Amino acid sequence: MSHNVVAMILAGGKGTRLGLLTKKMAKPAVSFAAKYRIIDFPLSNCANSGINRIGVLTQYEPTLLDTYIGNGEKWGFNGVHSLLTSIAPRQTDEGANWYKGTADAITQNIEFLDGLSPDYVLILSGDHIYKTTYNEMIDLHAESGADATISVIEVDPKEASRFGIMAVDKTDRITEFQEKPKHPKSNLASMGVYVFTWKVLRKYLIADRDLDTNHDFGGDIIPTMLNDGLKLQAYRFKGYWRDVGTLQSLHEANMDVALDRSDLHFYGDMSTRIYTEDTYSLPHYLGKQASIKSSIANQGAIILGKVNSSVISNEVLIEEDAVVDRCVVMEGSVIKRGAKITNAIVAPNTVIESGVEVNLNSKEIALVGGKVAR
Amino acid sequence: MAKVVGICDLHDAPHLGKLTEKRPIGTVSFLGRYGLMDFALSNFSNSGIDRVSILVDRHLHSVISHVRDGSIWVNNTKTGTQRIFYNENVPGHKFNTDINNLLSNRLHFEGLDCDYVVVANSFFLMSMDFRKYVDMHIESGRKISLIYKRVKNAKEEFLNCDIVKTENHVVKDFAVNMGTAKEAQVSLEVFIFDYKTLVELINKTREISTLFNIRDLVNYCATNGLYEVNAFSFDGYVAPILTFDNFVKYSRELLSYDVRKQLFKEEWPIYTTTHNTPPALYGEKAIVENSFVSNGSRIKGTVINSILSRDVIVEEGAVVKNCILFSGTKVGKGSHLEYVVADKNVKIREIRDVAGDEDHFMYISFGANI
Repeated sequence: MSHNVVAMILAGGKGTRLGLLTKKMAKPAVSFAAKYRIIDFPLSNCANSGINRIGVLTQYEPTLLDTYIGNGEKWGFNGVHSLLTSIAPRQTDEGANWYKGTADAITQNIEFLDGLSPDYVLILSGDHIYKTTYNEMIDLHAESGADATISVIEVDPKEASRFGIMAVDKTDRITEFQEKPKHPKSNLASMGVYVFTWKVLRKYLIADRDLDTNHDFGGDIIPTMLNDGLKLQAYRFKGYWRDVGTLQSLHEANMDVALDRSDLHFYGDMSTRIYTEDTYSLPHYLGKQASIKSSIANQGAIILGKVNSSVISNEVLIEEDAVVDRCVVMEGSVIKRGAKITNAIVAPNTVIESGVEVNLNSKEIALVGGKVAR
Repeated sequence: MAKVVGICDLHDAPHLGKLTEKRPIGTVSFLGRYGLMDFALSNFSNSGIDRVSILVDRHLHSVISHVRDGSIWVNNTKTGTQRIFYNENVPGHKFNTDINNLLSNRLHFEGLDCDYVVVANSFFLMSMDFRKYVDMHIESGRKISLIYKRVKNAKEEFLNCDIVKTENHVVKDFAVNMGTAKEAQVSLEVFIFDYKTLVELINKTREISTLFNIRDLVNYCATNGLYEVNAFSFDGYVAPILTFDNFVKYSRELLSYDVRKQLFKEEWPIYTTTHNTPPALYGEKAIVENSFVSNGSRIKGTVINSILSRDVIVEEGAVVKNCILFSGTKVGKGSHLEYVVADKNVKIREIRDVAGDEDHFMYISFGANI
């Protein structure tokens, strides 16, 4: 790929619907599939696409995320022409500002982008689970001469009113954008993945800056571009893609991996692997009385009890006679002897005391953290 | 603070049969993810010794692909270095000693800004804080020190290792362990030198013998009264990997948590090369007991009392019992493996029985198709 692209990842959201998981960290830093953090997915996708210059826009609780991003080495962005940096809102000559919307986060960093002088800017979300390379989409953007290309995914028509919907013509040129419409004109949902020609976007960001809008890509920038008759192209994404903004969706996406039912192709496909931090722990150990079925487990875990349809992260300890069923157990948690837990997300470093029963016979996803005693 | 450099010495290492035919002992896979040399390199790193030279006598490629740029074991990548020393132009393997290697690379080794050198090997696996011994070395005022362990199983283990006789923490004599006594003070072949003394000695060694290695040199110095050699005792856990049987025995011994916690300590991480493999995946019919399973593995069959490296596949109905499987091993549907060490990328097709026995593990070589 020879296009001159810089990726900007929107990672500032609070993720209120994830409760205590995002109490002290930004949503993109939340752990996923026993080993990863959510932001590993867009970052690895960039690495696998040959996009090596990336800004991560942080705002809510950025410390842990910033530390994690580090010098980019985990995803290979410490090479000669590579750059990975996190950019939080800051005090400037013009005063102190928060990022007031997704578009404003880019507007406040126009100088950063100008310094890198890209032809195209790829806008990504820091909280989506999918494995891809962006090359085909960027090629389409360049070849079609579009001003903006929006990645869309086909959704169940009955669900379409939950999404931002793109109506398109025969050539997949976007004719209308509908935000959570009552009467959707298509079933193509925006994934929040955009390629913009930088010169064009730059102009629209500056124009939007002083307007009384939400400074949002989906709500403001895209509709204005459409109104102005610019060429906006839809790129049809095929494959697994999930927004993991709720406990339910986070749990389900984890289960997809544990039950090997997703087409994420974690196993076997080496060209698009997901990179992450290595914890330098021993391979996980399964004890003499242990049982593990339909699950995934990461290094550093010690499993002495029974595990079914679950995700067991690094440094998790599941003691003898403990039963873990349909759970996502995040790093460092301990499920003590005889405890039973089903249908739950166990936050990092939680301790479930001996014999405690959590969420048995419930269909709702429970979120547990801290010390859970009788 | 004293300036210390480390030497990870891969010369003069034991052979583990076919396991070390195509690789040095330092890169032999251990417990599913480590290379044996990771223990020495991590001991240096955790001891704050950031400049390390790895002396390689053969299979350079294997060392480079494991160590890469060495940054995994280095605290500061500007001031720290992992250097690979390799001497190419040595006629005959027995002349290819660690001393010869240091002489060949003297341009890099001599003139270092340092005060002390710690020499460690890749076959005694332990978590050892070198700082304590360097301090003792400095305090003693002597130029050479050796670290030993008092063992109670010298009849069966540590055979052919050096036994040291000591008096007031000074080496008085050496003997080779022929397995005659249970208790012995076994040299762990970890040495500390005053840097200048080592440089001087290796330049002089050729006048004594061109076959000498560092271990011989220390023996010679101690027994010929050239230098008094400190003998410092180490009390921690040591797994001596001196034979193929040792390799199997200590790998399996470490399945026990009580043993494992003596080697792997929270405050003493063992660093190794990372491969970006996803978590291990277990199918709905998987049965797994008393085993280590590494990332990237996919288990649909039965695994008992075994150690699986990354990317091992155990298909439905396959049974793996008392085995050590290196990365990329594939055990086909219905196959049965017992008492087997499978080297990298071995493929066992469907419905095959392959078995060694408790005392004689069967070795299957790299990439074999069965």
